[in-house]
Amino acid sequence: MSRPGFVLTVDERTPPLLMHEGEGFRLERLPLGTRVVYPPDSLKPLRNVDAHIQHALLNPLGSEPLPELLRPDMRLTIVFDDLSLPLPQMQTPDVRQRVIEHVLELAAANGVDDVELIAANALHRRMTPAELKRVVGERVFRSFFPERLGNHDAEDSANMVEIGTTKHGEVVELNRRAMESDLIVYVNLTTTPMSGGPKSVSVGLASYRSLRHHHNVHTLRHSRSFNDPPNSAMHHSYERMADLVGDHVKVFTVETTLNNDTFPSSTGFLNKREWEWNVADQASYLAVKRGNDLMPAKARRKVWQKTVAPYGVTGVTAGRPSDVHPVTLDNVHRQQLTEVQGQADVGIFGLPYICPYNVNSIMNPILVMSLGLGYFFNLYKNQPIVRQGGTAIFYHPVPHEFHPVHHPSYIDFFDEVLTQSTDPAVLEKKYEEQFATDPWYIQLYRKSYAYHGVHPFYMWYWGAHALEHLSEVIFVGGDRRTTTRMGFKAASTLADALEIASHTVGRSPSITYQHAPPLVVADVR
Amino acid sequence: MGADIVEGGPVDENGRDDGGHGEHGAHLAGQHVLLTGATGFLGQATLEKLLSGYPTTRVSVLIRPRGSMSGADRLRKLLRKPVFARWRERVGADEVDRIVAERVTVIEGDLSAVRDLPADVDVVIHGASTVSFDPPIDEAFDTNVTGVVTLYEALAAAGADPHVVHVSTAYVAGVRKGVVAEASLTHDVDWRAEAAAAESARAQVETASRRPEVLRKVMAEARAEHRKAGPQAVVESAEPARVDWVHKRLVDYGRTRAQSLGWPDVYTLTKALGERAAEQMWGHTGHRLSIVRPAIVESSLRYPYPGWIDGFKMADPLIIAYGRGILPEFPGLPDSVLDLIPVDFVVNAILAAAASPPPPAEPGYFHVSSGARNPLPFRGMYENVHAYFSRHPMPDSERGHIQVPSWRFPGTTQVERMLRTGERAVELAQRTLMRVPASDRTRTWMRSVHRRQQDLEVLRTYADLYQAYTQAEVIYDDSRTRALHDALPAERREVHGFDAAEIDWEHYLQEVHFPGVTASMRAFSSRPRSKGSADDALPERTDVAAVFDLEGTVVASNTVEQYVWVRLAGTPRSEWTRELTDLVRSLPRYILAERRDRGDFIRTFMRRYEGVDEAELRRLVADSVGDALLQRTMPEAIRRIREHRAAGHRTVLITGTIDVLVEPIAPLFDEVVAGRMHSRDGVWTGYLDSPPLVDEARAAWLRRYAENTGVDLSKSYAYGDSYSDRAWLELAGKPNAVNPDPALYRHAKRKHWKVQNWGQHTRGRLDALTGSVSSEVNR
Repeated sequence: MSRPGFVLTVDERTPPLLMHEGEGFRLERLPLGTRVVYPPDSLKPLRNVDAHIQHALLNPLGSEPLPELLRPDMRLTIVFDDLSLPLPQMQTPDVRQRVIEHVLELAAANGVDDVELIAANALHRRMTPAELKRVVGERVFRSFFPERLGNHDAEDSANMVEIGTTKHGEVVELNRRAMESDLIVYVNLTTTPMSGGPKSVSVGLASYRSLRHHHNVHTLRHSRSFNDPPNSAMHHSYERMADLVGDHVKVFTVETTLNNDTFPSSTGFLNKREWEWNVADQASYLAVKRGNDLMPAKARRKVWQKTVAPYGVTGVTAGRPSDVHPVTLDNVHRQQLTEVQGQADVGIFGLPYICPYNVNSIMNPILVMSLGLGYFFNLYKNQPIVRQGGTAIFYHPVPHEFHPVHHPSYIDFFDEVLTQSTDPAVLEKKYEEQFATDPWYIQLYRKSYAYHGVHPFYMWYWGAHALEHLSEVIFVGGDRRTTTRMGFKAASTLADALEIASHTVGRSPSITYQHAPPLVVADVR
Repeated sequence: MGADIVEGGPVDENGRDDGGHGEHGAHLAGQHVLLTGATGFLGQATLEKLLSGYPTTRVSVLIRPRGSMSGADRLRKLLRKPVFARWRERVGADEVDRIVAERVTVIEGDLSAVRDLPADVDVVIHGASTVSFDPPIDEAFDTNVTGVVTLYEALAAAGADPHVVHVSTAYVAGVRKGVVAEASLTHDVDWRAEAAAAESARAQVETASRRPEVLRKVMAEARAEHRKAGPQAVVESAEPARVDWVHKRLVDYGRTRAQSLGWPDVYTLTKALGERAAEQMWGHTGHRLSIVRPAIVESSLRYPYPGWIDGFKMADPLIIAYGRGILPEFPGLPDSVLDLIPVDFVVNAILAAAASPPPPAEPGYFHVSSGARNPLPFRGMYENVHAYFSRHPMPDSERGHIQVPSWRFPGTTQVERMLRTGERAVELAQRTLMRVPASDRTRTWMRSVHRRQQDLEVLRTYADLYQAYTQAEVIYDDSRTRALHDALPAERREVHGFDAAEIDWEHYLQEVHFPGVTASMRAFSSRPRSKGSADDALPERTDVAAVFDLEGTVVASNTVEQYVWVRLAGTPRSEWTRELTDLVRSLPRYILAERRDRGDFIRTFMRRYEGVDEAELRRLVADSVGDALLQRTMPEAIRRIREHRAAGHRTVLITGTIDVLVEPIAPLFDEVVAGRMHSRDGVWTGYLDSPPLVDEARAAWLRRYAENTGVDLSKSYAYGDSYSDRAWLELAGKPNAVNPDPALYRHAKRKHWKVQNWGQHTRGRLDALTGSVSSEVNR
């Protein structure tokens, strides 16, 4: 049994604490009285993952065992979570590969011939062949690519099908092959409470027509937080859609969860609480920090992007989605949930080098915004760690960099749209449609490796709740030009940031620092 | 320069009704004055003075029609200039019109063809002269010698016997030391022979310029510079270069001839010969002749208002250049006299001389100068300039103010050495920069080298031109001028005086002259710098095209890089080394071909594609090679293309690259003009299907395209990166140089084209290779 999460109150004896800031990190001395939220210690992984997978497939929840669902003349579609999970990528073999191999073995044993594998990338960029191979493994890749292993294409209208409309009028348009299968096996990886469950099929295989019903400003402002499904309007929408999917096609889901071994042993100190660093940790901090600062920017990015996590698997559950997901959520909470008493005037977050949309890519300013005000701000249950009208302080250099192939519409969004307004509702009304239907972006999404034209808007909506909740957003070490463009402030030090914040939260604000990654969800009472 | 720079003193009030009294003849009362060169600096001031200060004097002005403007039009325009502003304010616009109508007659014509002159002229003030010090020899003689001859012939023909005031220059004395008397020049140069020689010089030089040796050289230079832009561009630059050669040669003829006869330049030589012609044709033939020789005429001390000046006069470019900080040293002698004289003194002296004619056949000579009695040493001038600009530095755009240098007067030799070193360094830097690959940094370097070169050119011009004046160890005696001044009635001296001794140099230079000459420069350089980067919004219309080059404009890659992608993506990793080694071995050959001709290069290089299976290549492009191309695109270019599309413009891509390779971006364009490989049974033979579309061939294509589609090229947009794109960029009304190579950058700067700096988020060469091409191999 590992130690539970912990809230530290900074006092005179507290050492400087680790703060992620993009492709780097620092030790920062925080004001006395600051509360620091740590996740529970990394859970012990399952020892024999294959055995657990086998067990889950043969003893599913709310469903017949998988072999009983398989017949020779059936159409089987295996759908798996895409590159955006987990972060960073996990050491091979990826748990998805293991699950898929087991499923395929059972399918083969039961004489299923018509099998197709689809990455549930929705409007994300296509995965490259190399990336697909990394997730599904050499053997599967060689047998199925490219004819029967590929990416979901939400703009291939011939291969999309509208299966109906929810009672709220939400159109559900999904991948035709999957919808016209006899069985979908969804291979999932859940690393935050927002993922998995109803989201898997109804979001991962959807089109813009369908996604717009929950990926919008109104829904996101009423998802408090989107990591707390019962209180998330977005998840309510997912569930309505998932119900419709359930009526239409049989879905057998396999959900897996990971522990918090986010960083490899060479940077093991990043997984530990600072006052518990031993001499080796301190030495390796100094060496890694120094080496990292000295490295040329390109090389540094390469090193960080090549980092893989030695994640351990903490749970494998299979069966009917609605029966499986509560178990999964419980596993996630076990690893990530830490109780915090009350909100603070100021919340501090150190933003790391990676988010779901810059794997093997570049974290551009808009992705920084969505990581900070979207993902990190929403890592809470009940209420945000910052009070309404409070200030959020993020650590990130917010460099003016974009990946021209992966994020072409982001560049235009940043230069053409954000210069007009930063209000999510205005952007949604005036520009979303134009970007979403732009034939050039669609072509790049389908044929190249670009995120869909509408994706930067979703990223911006991701922060809509935080934008409404906070009165001030400050980036320590942020590029003044990019932060100003996005309507935020830049400060060179924490002291300066608190000085700026003093106009809204006073001279001696209460402060909470959410210490992540490894990820922690604050259960704020 | 506005008339309101310096407030007028009480002089104006006094000047109002002066000169009006006195009997006929005294102070030109009731007389008829013919004025030549009325539109010039001295002429304007003289006319103004005659109109405002000599109320009973009639004036005829000889003005040459120019373009569609008649002489009378030019006079009307002249009367609106600042020099007349005070007078106009004083008497009112209507009164000005009335006075001009009543007293001024315009004689249309110029000195090469003077029509009938009025016979009743009492005084001729001949002020017409070339403005330049270094004109081609024939032009200088035309105005300063032949013009004089024509004038006196016309006067004789009209049967008039006026007193001629011949305005010359003190510097006709030529290169000499010591005191120069107010007397006829002592030289025996035959002005008729010199004039005839000058006249024939142009024909000779024109003939010489057509000799094959000269033309070959001109062609070689044009080719070296413009070959990349195409054969037509070479020809187009060769002929102007020949004309320029003729001009330079004639200037050289003039200067060298002048120096061989003892004058510093052709201006002073021709003015000296003009004097001799005047003496022979008028002064010594029983007529009255006064020769007035001003020194360096500068802005007025008092009249019509302190600091009035028209354009830049001789010393002014020097002053400005000093204030701009580009004269680190100057080859002047600190103790030599810089002989300045305010323009109002010169005008007063001319009119005083006009009013007191010498006896017939005994010409009078007057030096209007300051050097004899109130000398301003060059050092004193420098101190004043330095003090002035230290107190009132010139604004340096948005970077505060310019710091002016301190001179140490190191002497001619050292300044010359410094200059020559600077010029060599700049030339070397420029030649180097033309050869290095284009980048934002090299363009910054080019800008600074270009600026440095301009500064050096300014310095060189002035050093050469003014050396004679700033090193003069000569004093112009002005005792006759002084006697003329002393003869003025005491009450006239205040307004009509010209005593050089009364000039307080510090006051004149720092309070009057420098503010006057720097005002317009200040206004110019304190303008906020344009922000440059913002593109104009594109007008919505369907009859325009936006034409893009591919390599270097839309994508950062080139033919060789694309080839590497194709080859590496299509061959197993084990063969990469062999493939790359072979490519590197052939590079020198390709570079030579590229130097020679872009088309040659493409032809040679494309041979490498021999044996490529087109279907397989298409697959590679769809998978990985196309992705590499997209990695190397410039996002700003893509956005611009899309903006053009959104505005309804036709988007056109012209490239020498093979069509298959540009497929990933083809959907952005309404028209793609790309190369095509010849194939047999689906396999490429290594030959092109048709000649590669480069430089002027693209221009020809574009012209035809515009004709066929009704596109208005003058409203169209063109985007290119290389000097070889010049021909077709020029066809469009809105050319843009995108990350231009040095030659195109220079051209774009000269022509004020928009220079775009694109590619901020473009991925590197290696990223494209490792990110895309190797992913192909991994599978």
